[in-house]
Parts: sequence; C-alpha cells; structure tokens
Amino acid sequence: MELLSYDFIQRGLLAGILIAVSTALIGVFLILRRFAFLGAGLSHAAFGSIAISFLINADIYFTTVIFTVLIANLIEFLTQTRKVPGDTAIAVIFSSGMALAVIILGIAKGFGENLFSYLFGNILMVSKEELVYSFFVFLLTMSFLLVFYKKLLITTFSEEIARVKGVNISFINYAFVSLTAVVIVASIKAVGVILASSLVVIPAMTGILLANSFLMSLVYSCLISVLSVVSGIFVSFKYDLPPSGTIVGISILAFILSFVLRKLPLK
Amino acid sequence: MRIVEVKNLNFSYDGRYKVLENVSFFVEEGDFLGIVGPNGAGKSTLFKLLLRFLKPQSGEILLFGKRIEEFRDWKSIGYVPQRLSVEHTFPGKVKELLFSVSRDKRETEYLIEYLRIGNILDKQFTKLSGGQQQRVLLAIALSSNPKLILLDEPTTGLDIHALNHLINILLDLNSNHRKTIMMISHDIGTLLKHSNKILCLNRKVCYFGNPVDAIEFIEEVFGLRGILDGTS
Repeated sequence: MELLSYDFIQRGLLAGILIAVSTALIGVFLILRRFAFLGAGLSHAAFGSIAISFLINADIYFTTVIFTVLIANLIEFLTQTRKVPGDTAIAVIFSSGMALAVIILGIAKGFGENLFSYLFGNILMVSKEELVYSFFVFLLTMSFLLVFYKKLLITTFSEEIARVKGVNISFINYAFVSLTAVVIVASIKAVGVILASSLVVIPAMTGILLANSFLMSLVYSCLISVLSVVSGIFVSFKYDLPPSGTIVGISILAFILSFVLRKLPLK
Repeated sequence: MRIVEVKNLNFSYDGRYKVLENVSFFVEEGDFLGIVGPNGAGKSTLFKLLLRFLKPQSGEILLFGKRIEEFRDWKSIGYVPQRLSVEHTFPGKVKELLFSVSRDKRETEYLIEYLRIGNILDKQFTKLSGGQQQRVLLAIALSSNPKLILLDEPTTGLDIHALNHLINILLDLNSNHRKTIMMISHDIGTLLKHSNKILCLNRKVCYFGNPVDAIEFIEEVFGLRGILDGTS
C-alpha cells in the first residue's frame, strides 16, 4: 500500500489500467477476425515514426499517431482491394518501420538511447501528458465499441452477412484499424514496441478461451489485462524487474492457466 | 412482378477467363428457383453479383424492378452464405448474433419460435450441429423480414432429418409467407421436387424453365444420362 503513495506509481497504474482495457477490447475483435498480427505490424511501424519524430524534433505522440493511423489505413486498403494478402501487407509494414528506425539511427546521432527506451517502454515513467493520452484512448475505444458494438459483432461473425444487413463494412473496417493504431501507440509507453502486440493479443485470447459468450470474452479479456498490468507493476517494483517484461510474463501465465483450466473436467 | 432480372451478364475475376457468360434469367414474386450446376459453374459468383459484392464486366441486373446500381433496399434480401469462415474460437452465442441484427424484439421472438431455435439460444454458434447452424443462419437472414431469400448450398452436410426440416421451413416460407426463394444446391433431386423453376448453370445458362423438362439438360451438364429419370 505504501507503494501507492508514489506519484509515478499512481500515474503508471492509472495509465496501465486505461491502456489494458483498450488493448484487451480491440484484441478480441482482432483475433476473431484473424488480424492479430496487426498490432505487431503497427507497433513496429510506429517505431519508425518515433525515430522520425526525434530526427525532426517533432512531438512524438502527435507524429506517431498520425503516421500509424495512415499506415493502418494503408494495410486495410491493400487488404480490401485484395492487392496484397493482409498478413503480407503487415509483414512489409513491420519490416519497413524497423528499417526506417535503423537507418535514422545510423545517419543521426545523439538520440539512440531515448529511441531505444521506446523498444521496451516503461509504464513507471508515464508523464502527465501520456496519462491524458491514455485516458483519451480509453474514452475513444469505449465510445466506438458502445456505438458500433452490434455492427462489429456481426461483421466479426461474417462480413458477407453484415454487408447484406446494411452494415457499411468499409467504414467499420477503416475506423477499426484507425482505432487499433491509436491504441497501439498508447500501449508502446506501457510495454514498448516489441511487446505492444502482446498486450493486444494475449489477454484477449485468454478471455476468449474462458468465455462462453462474446460479451463475456470482452469482460474476461479486460479483467485479465488489468490484472496483468497491475500485478506486473507491483511485482516489477518489488523485485526490481523490467515492468514491460513482467506485465507480459504474467499475462502469458494467465493464458497458460486458462488453457489448462479449459481442458480440466470442472463440471 | 419480377423480383430479379438478369440480362446478358458477364463476369470474370481476372479479366480473361469468363466465370459467367451472357447469363440471362428472371425470378418472379413467389418463385422457388433451384440453381444447379457443377463446381466452378459460377453459381456462388452469381449470388455475389446479385448482392453487389462483385461488379459485372457487362450486363444488367434488376432487383425489384430497379437497376442494381440504384437499388438501396438491401434489407428486403436475406442471404444464407455457402460456407462461413468463422474462427472456431468465436465465442458468440446464438442470441447475441440474433439480437445484433434484430430490428424488432417481437419479430425476433417470433422467428425463434418459428424456426424452433429457442433451446439453442444460449449455445455458442460454433458448437452447434450443421443443421442447427443452418437454422440460425436462416433466422439471421429472415431477421429483416426479406421478400427474397438467397441460399447458397444450405443442405450441404445435413443429415436426412435436418435436410427435411430445412426444406419444410423453406416450402412454408415460400407458399405461406410469399417469400421468393433462390437456392443453390447439389441436391438435384430435392430441387427438382420442390422448385417451380430450375436454372442450370455451367458458366452459361444451360437451362432455365420448369423442373420437369430440366432433367435432360441437367443429365447432360453433369454427365448423368439416364440416372435422374431412372432409365439407365
């Protein structure tokens, strides 16, 4: 409890919970639409954008959000027009982001250490601005899901059926990948570029495994995600471990546990 | 009234190989049109063109008398797709799916009773049998109270009881509820027995007309001479 008296712990916990809920919610839809790898692709693309921001001395969040949203829409465009398979488009974007960052690191000196800090993130170093951004992302995610829940559900079930039912598939898909991009940028601060997609995929998959309805898969995903982040922060602080790795490690344990529980005859 | 009218329809996925060539036919209100043809004959592609998932290279499609480009009343069409590529871990329950497309609670409750799916509402869709899944898909298709229902191979993989149940529902919808039905199936016997019109498709229209005269043409397309009419 003494830990909670620290400002940075309070900020980290609050931002962590907001990010955990946002990533878990979009994660369920991404997995069920076989688009789970999108998170990894976007976070690595974002890394390229963070490098650009350092190079041109621009606002990191603003630049990265714009860049990542554009990239997410490009992936969706390539997938929708069937020019390139979705996973291939993501793989290209993934590599391009990292390549861009490596090139910029090579030609410009002086911000390498700062840039590398984004690879692994640190939830305990969240600034007030970053907390505000996390809150904005949380509000955006909740509002989007509340407004479009039914449409997202039927689109996740079958795009063809949703289209016949009058759902504007193009709008839903472009809006959803844009939201994913915004959430991914927020999660980079919590767990870094490399592990950002873990926060999107692992708690969501655990929730799906445990749930017996769509709604409950969202609820369980959020609970597991929040539990992983909160316990990860405390464990990492107590044992002096990196928070990002600890958070993801705990979420993996929860996944394994749920997988085992599902196989046990509990009735 | 002609619900669907297709005139000289041509379609190709790659711009070279024609999947549909000069296809013309029509469906009148109250018809039960059976669509048959071998694999790759363009049957599912035809449905995708009617639903505007795809755009034809040339030709004309009229839905409820309107050119498809100007047609907006998609809720008057119900669609049961051939194969769903639902993720096997999809956790959605039947009632979640139904209420996600429901316009009116009472209509949905009527559908649940009509299709006898009340006992599976709390089950996950992916854990249902083939017959139960087909009834749920039909319920979703009927949820907007459509005048026209397109069914793409709904009988595939069903046992005889599930098949009979589905066919009885379709016949009731057709005769007692005035629903116009277009159904693709490889179950030629069922279609010949219950449809009032047959469209035999093999990229081109091989036959379009009443089921009695369709047998000879279908035998030719499928290489089944003498089998369907029992003369072999």
